[in-house]
Amino acid sequence: MNIIHAVGVKKDFGALEVLKGVDLSVSQGEVVVIIGPSGSGKSTLLRCLIELERIDEGSIYVGDRALVENGVYAKEKDLREIRQRMGMVFQHFNLFPHMTVWKNLILAPLSVLKMDKKEAEDRAFEVLRQVGLLDKRDELPKNLSGGQKQRVAIARALMMRPDILLFDEPTSALDPELTGEVLTVMQDLARNDSTMVIVTHEMEFAKNVADRVIFMNEGVIALEGTPKEIFENSNHSRLLSFLARKDTSAEAMPST
Amino acid sequence: MKIANISKILLMGIGNTVTVFAVTLFFSIPLGLLLSFMSMSKIKVIKAPVRVFVFIMRGTPLMLQLFFVCFGLPFLPYVGQYLVMDRFVAACVTFALNYAAYFCEIFRGGLLSVDAGQYEAAKVLGLTKWHVRTKIVIPQMIKIVLPAVSNESITLVKDTALITTIGVTETLHYAKSLVNSTASVLPYGVAAAFYLGMTFVLTKLFAYLERKYAF
Repeated sequence: MNIIHAVGVKKDFGALEVLKGVDLSVSQGEVVVIIGPSGSGKSTLLRCLIELERIDEGSIYVGDRALVENGVYAKEKDLREIRQRMGMVFQHFNLFPHMTVWKNLILAPLSVLKMDKKEAEDRAFEVLRQVGLLDKRDELPKNLSGGQKQRVAIARALMMRPDILLFDEPTSALDPELTGEVLTVMQDLARNDSTMVIVTHEMEFAKNVADRVIFMNEGVIALEGTPKEIFENSNHSRLLSFLARKDTSAEAMPST
Repeated sequence: MKIANISKILLMGIGNTVTVFAVTLFFSIPLGLLLSFMSMSKIKVIKAPVRVFVFIMRGTPLMLQLFFVCFGLPFLPYVGQYLVMDRFVAACVTFALNYAAYFCEIFRGGLLSVDAGQYEAAKVLGLTKWHVRTKIVIPQMIKIVLPAVSNESITLVKDTALITTIGVTETLHYAKSLVNSTASVLPYGVAAAFYLGMTFVLTKLFAYLERKYAF
């Protein structure tokens, strides 16, 4: 059963056509990794799924509800409910800098889900343990490393018990030696049958964790398949040149 | 005349100085915040009047505004008779409106500096617009605007001396009378010390707030 179903998604920023008709389906428990050169539209596609960007044409269904159908968006109240099924992790973490880790976690459950304090705190305890940061609960974000910030951001998303987790280049802003701790947390989530859509440049991660890899190029899905099909058996010229560039840039970076 | 005696007389004026200062801050900060949100509205009929108001209040002398409110408004046709205010009240109203215009711009700058990612994170978590403003945006804006608000507050302490021009007795008014009656420059020195004392307290207060908002 598809939990996300996008059909004919088109999006432009002025004269720049970013998405030129994208179809994407994600089934329950599936881990989909989207790769592609910068400017290929992969982040935009992800942001459209949770209505951070609005599409111009096409439809996006989440579960059995339409976020947008033939370019017409649902009412604000419905949009809110539909977005609520998804959690999002950003490249730059976007933690609330004026709140401790703990407050970052319980804010939305208390004020959006109207959870009672005890329940929210139990949940916060659970997700912080899951990402291995219980000892940082009273720290402000500025006192955390990039990797720790991103793990808190993942924990914050988990607080809302989303059915789908979206990751927008979660390790791109991190020092290379800090990506591992974030990827490990994500790998654990993937093992626990979470539904995840991940935009990333981490090819090793895609190979090891993805159920399906999507290669985007110039606003369309150029190719999709299992990691084996994409990384080993493909002779798609664009993909091969993209992967070749990735390899050289990876070699240029020590200690990855 | 001894400094103690001079101080005693100047203290009679300090009440008005401090009151105008406090009343102005009390009203102009919330009003400025409201205006800053209005001036960032996408709706033109909300935004345009605020821009005009800010343009006028920042673009004309505060002393002119004092004269206008205190002596000018009563001459307006039809409504003038209802606009005769006690001079002290007129001073407070004028100061509050004038400073609201400046705070509006300071807060607007602060709001614009809050990272777009904060709005996005709040949106995907499902926070309402009200919660985004009160729990996410405004606390971060405060940190950004504190140095500028501190600056404005110190300017305000000194601007209160302007109310002497519409005949409200405050610190500088008594200092000037004393200088004239005693033929000594000392009262000006004591008045200066009073202002320095007030700005010193403010400087410390804002330094404390900046430490508190160091996130």
